[in-house]
Amino acid sequence: MKFRVILCTTFLLGFVVLAAASGKTSDSKDESKPVTTIETAQHARDLRLEGEKRYHANCSRCHAAPPKFPPRMMGTIVRHMRVRAMLTDEDMHLILRYMTQ
Amino acid sequence: MLLTLCGRMQAQNDSDADVDLSLKPVPVLTGSTAYFTRVTGGQVQDAPSVSPLLLVPVGDRWLLEAKGAYSDTFAKNAQGDYAGTTSYGMAYAQIDYITKYATFTGGRFIAPFNVYGERLAPNWIRALQPSPLSVPITSGAALGGMVRGGLPFGTDKLHFNYAAYFSTNNTNHIVATDRSTGGRIGFFLPGPRLEFGASFQQVLQLDRPYAAGVHFIWQPNTVPLTVRSEYTRSSGTRGSGYWIESAYRLSQIPHLGGAELVGRGQQFFAAANLAPAVAAKLGALGRDTNQGDFGLNYYFRSDVRASASYGRQFALGKNANLWTIGMTYRFVMPMWPTGGGL
Repeated sequence: MKFRVILCTTFLLGFVVLAAASGKTSDSKDESKPVTTIETAQHARDLRLEGEKRYHANCSRCHAAPPKFPPRMMGTIVRHMRVRAMLTDEDMHLILRYMTQ
Repeated sequence: MLLTLCGRMQAQNDSDADVDLSLKPVPVLTGSTAYFTRVTGGQVQDAPSVSPLLLVPVGDRWLLEAKGAYSDTFAKNAQGDYAGTTSYGMAYAQIDYITKYATFTGGRFIAPFNVYGERLAPNWIRALQPSPLSVPITSGAALGGMVRGGLPFGTDKLHFNYAAYFSTNNTNHIVATDRSTGGRIGFFLPGPRLEFGASFQQVLQLDRPYAAGVHFIWQPNTVPLTVRSEYTRSSGTRGSGYWIESAYRLSQIPHLGGAELVGRGQQFFAAANLAPAVAAKLGALGRDTNQGDFGLNYYFRSDVRASASYGRQFALGKNANLWTIGMTYRFVMPMWPTGGGL
């Protein structure tokens, strides 16, 4: 009986410790998330700015800067310009990102 | 908590953006319509035209492109009545398979020689409506296969692009092509916005002439100016020539931001020792010509433009004034629901 009480107590304590540890892990994840997200947002902004730069550098070589169209249209138009104006793969993706946001 | 919530919303936005980028592209009908009145050496012509371009993306890597052209040209005939002449054709009808560094094209396409034919010729793009005299020197269209692409040249500050093609002979009047081969290499410096390159074309029929050309485009970062030029030289009967064009956008002047001043100078040199019969058959390509053009474009929007130009052509016994005035409209419409968006 005494052995069972010790076993149950140990089990409960272990569970509590594990739960606490688990919570702590979760908290530590939440603490790191804003930093990662801010970095991701900054990265996204940088990509958009780079896309805008490439858009002006590439598109205006031939014609007046076009407006933005719905994303599914822009996908087709940028693919066409990839072939016609021989845009690099990176330019195409950056311009598409900029033109769809 | 607020920071976390904002972060999660931003992450959601980012993932939404990624979803947008992965949305399936839809078929698009684009192109241009135009109406121009031209006075060439006193001969008045009115020319409405339409050039539709159908783009059909298939999967992640394929693209079908088909562009046609239709125009009516009205001019006074010998009886003094206005009569129309209809012309139509297929500019290109090609299928592209796109990979990271190369695009493989099959069908009828514009031959990659210099840049005017492929990129500057559509009437809603060209700064001056009259085509440069040197454009017909080379075979403009091809029926066959092409490989082309653009890639960073070791660094992001220098891009390299290339195109190589082979074309078969075709005598159908709508899609006529020469048997020819050729290609182009080019470099683009995104920083100073300078592009230059060289082209070569070898015709593989009749007298088998070859042509070589160079081109450049420069857009200084400090002023709204574009300078373009091409030079083409042919070994055959079609001569050689060059043109240089500058377009200055008055974007810094209030209420005139949509205006653009354009000037172009060009010289064409007919092939030496042409027999009179051959020279007559070649028409404008059979005589030395100097030409200067000045134009004014006004962009009401990016897709609606009014254009006017005056040119003076100097050719032996054929001096002429060239007036052009008209409008262009570039249209873009989806051929499938786009699901909204911007």
